Amino acid sequence: MRFSYVWRELTLRRRRHLTATLGLAVGIALLIILQALAGAYQQAARAPLAEIGADITIQRSGDVPQNLQGAVFPCSAVTIRKHEVEQISRMSGVRTTGQALLLWVFDQEQFTMVMGVDPDNALGPGKLRNFVLKGRFLEGEGGQALVESTYAKEKQIEVGDTVTILDSPYPVVGLVDGSRASKIALANVYLPLSEAQALAVASPQVQGVSPFTMGDVNLVFMVADQAAIPSLAVALKTALGDKTSVATPASFLRQLGNLFALSDKFASATFGIVMVVAFLMVFKTIAGGIQERAREIGVLKCLGWTNANINAQLLAESLVLCLLAGIVGVGFAGLVCYGLSFQELHIPIPWEMSPTPHFLPGGGEPVFKTVRLPVQLSWPLIGLALILSLTVGGLTSGLCIGRITRIKPSEVLRHE
Amino acid sequence: MNDSILAASDIRKTFGDIEVVKGVTVALQPGEFVCLVGRSGSGKTTLMALLSGLERPTSGQISLCGKDIVASSEDELALFRRANIGFIFQSFQLIPTLTAWENVAVPLFPEKMAEEERRARATSLLQQMQMEHRLDHLPGTLSGGEKQRVAIARALINHPKIIFADEPTGNLDSQTGQAIIEILTTLHKQQGLTILMVTHDLELSKSADRLLRMQDGALVP
Repeated sequence: MRFSYVWRELTLRRRRHLTATLGLAVGIALLIILQALAGAYQQAARAPLAEIGADITIQRSGDVPQNLQGAVFPCSAVTIRKHEVEQISRMSGVRTTGQALLLWVFDQEQFTMVMGVDPDNALGPGKLRNFVLKGRFLEGEGGQALVESTYAKEKQIEVGDTVTILDSPYPVVGLVDGSRASKIALANVYLPLSEAQALAVASPQVQGVSPFTMGDVNLVFMVADQAAIPSLAVALKTALGDKTSVATPASFLRQLGNLFALSDKFASATFGIVMVVAFLMVFKTIAGGIQERAREIGVLKCLGWTNANINAQLLAESLVLCLLAGIVGVGFAGLVCYGLSFQELHIPIPWEMSPTPHFLPGGGEPVFKTVRLPVQLSWPLIGLALILSLTVGGLTSGLCIGRITRIKPSEVLRHE
Repeated sequence: MNDSILAASDIRKTFGDIEVVKGVTVALQPGEFVCLVGRSGSGKTTLMALLSGLERPTSGQISLCGKDIVASSEDELALFRRANIGFIFQSFQLIPTLTAWENVAVPLFPEKMAEEERRARATSLLQQMQMEHRLDHLPGTLSGGEKQRVAIARALINHPKIIFADEPTGNLDSQTGQAIIEILTTLHKQQGLTILMVTHDLELSKSADRLLRMQDGALVP
């Protein structure tokens, strides 16, 4: 194989090779773009859960409380028993779990969303420890409160003040930026989990909807093996009943709806069609080239080139052609992906994961998590594309070996 | 016959129902310059193809440089040609995408050899052909005479024992053609090269040691 021969063959007869190069480049670019787009949607779908460090959130819906008085459960989140939490923590694929208790508290014409947080667990609302604006995060047990900064500003609450929840005073130990947490972890006041559990146990409205004892919760956060998430989602539903709402990246993908479905489902089909067309174009070019170059191949055989020598030369031409196409395709895909990365994606958050009461301003409006579409070229994807390009080159060349062998050295004399 | 560099015995070649070469027996001695002449369609090019191993005879025996080329495989023949035979064609048959020196070195490309050595050998031959100013030119930029000089240099690159030339002046004007014949004659005389040249031009064949006449697929006296 001689590289200068390969290179000049491709550049001096570029008209023959241009169509095949562009065809394959388009195929490779489509492969990369569709894969990157599908990956971006999948990554974006993780965003709402990633903010709270979880792969799965678990809630159980229940009845609407008869009286909105005192501490009540949002109807999207009623009791998950302590033994149930322990049971699902032992499921295969589960790495770690966290838990919280969300309550709506109606107290003397004042409404407060209260969340009980396990101060020692970084999952779920525990992530808020990174976004404390003033004071400190909750520590240990006992009466203390962390107040969401917007709510604190509205109510003119400062660190050192006291908030009263159902006649119990809680000293404010810190203010936290709730906008940095996922909607599911958003509340006005955060209490130690045991304090919130005590409020729930004492509430007839809570007990009337769903019996609750110390140790029970109504929100569970889970980190799991990525491969196990789909089967875990099914197992959780089975274990906790039909009313259980299990949020996973896949459920957010479903929320994204048609756009993702199009990019995901059409990705393989479109890619397949384009690659077949590109393969045929390259094959036509290589095979056509062999036909056109029968005299030249005859000359080479005359001059002592064996079939293996000629096959190696044409294989090199084919591989370089396809590699160039791959590089062009990667470059083109890079430009398109760069452009797409400026697009914003609005991920719908289901109400049960953002249970703001309807009677509050904005409570009934759809909630979205807006992220920039994280489209990016990964090295494995680029590598795959280039390997695929070379495979096309190798395959087409391999399929042409028979044609090369059939050309006789005396072919050269037919053109005299 | 035993000392012959080329010996063919009763070789025949048929294409379909047509017998193009009819029982030819011929021998060339080392260092001979033989011209094969005949009218167009007489079968002389086919005979050259058979004698050089480019085409297989339908029947008969051919021994070239001591090798039975009829029984050899295609790849064996390719390697044999690379080591022993030089070809010169009427239409030059240069590779259009390779420069003059690369065209000369084409038979050496499959060999494991330093690039400098390839280039040096090709350059030396092109200098002999007074083509040193055209080393890096593509065939498309060369005149007919220059192309044939490159082709002759290519035929010599592997130090062949025998050169087969098929109408080497056929596409050249008479003056350039004469110059090419002079080059071949000089190579024959100075280097003792064995040459079998196919031509229909009896004037050019005067340079040869011996003349073979072909008519209707057979050699005639």
